[in-house]
Amino acid sequence: MVKSPTIKRVVLDVLKPHQPTIPELASRIVSCNGANRVKISLAEIDQNTESIKVQVEGSNINLETIKTCIEEMGATIHSVDEVEVARKV
Amino acid sequence: MENYLKKFRFHLRLTGVSAISRRYFVMNAFDGALTALGVIVGAWTSGPVQPRIIIGAGLGVSLAMGISGFSGTYFVERAERLRKLEELEKSLLLDLDNSVHVKAQKTAMIWAALVDALSPSIAAVTAIVPFVFAHYGLISINEAVIISLILILLVLFMIGVYLGKISRERVIISGIRIMIIGIITAAIIILLGNI
Repeated sequence: MVKSPTIKRVVLDVLKPHQPTIPELASRIVSCNGANRVKISLAEIDQNTESIKVQVEGSNINLETIKTCIEEMGATIHSVDEVEVARKV
Repeated sequence: MENYLKKFRFHLRLTGVSAISRRYFVMNAFDGALTALGVIVGAWTSGPVQPRIIIGAGLGVSLAMGISGFSGTYFVERAERLRKLEELEKSLLLDLDNSVHVKAQKTAMIWAALVDALSPSIAAVTAIVPFVFAHYGLISINEAVIISLILILLVLFMIGVYLGKISRERVIISGIRIMIIGIITAAIIILLGNI
């Protein structure tokens, strides 16, 4: 049986306020449905905001769920920079 | 319960309200203690003291300070925090209505208002407790005045100790420093009362 493709990894360009902190945001994202591992790196820092690269890995990532989790923390997705999709046979 | 506490702490950290609350706590507990000192010493130097009057005046002052503290701080914090949220929304180009920021700012407003309301009230109520004992004839009125003054000085000392802990100075010196302000205030009221 052929299963439908699922997202295994995404890299997002995210703009966030200084609070919550990067570890707090990472903990929130990893508790989202479908995410197993989160890696965040700081790209740029401004007076009120921080630009970060968020890499999310999981068995079946739902981008909408990740978006909701990120927006709940007061951050916003600028762009989806990388996506890795796999199909299990 | 643990979850609520965790969320509450997260909201305090997110908004940075803890430092502001510390200031409110010290300023208003100090206000409450000195106001109670003024009521008690002022009444005492004016003539024979009736415990009922001190209790009534003390409770009235506590209530007024509590309501004034809560409403004043709530509206000041609300105005400041709404402005901050708006600035953040502009920077992020995002509506933060569904974010943790709005909830956290609401928690911060109420927490700061509660600290501002309760700190002077507790300090003032502590000072009038001996007069309740005097009212029921358990101690004399002069004893109530002395115990009350000791309690007020203790409250002032504790405020000083707390300030000393924040500034990482010697806590005893800091406590005595604040206590001296209370003693000077009492001395001025006594002097003015005797004119």
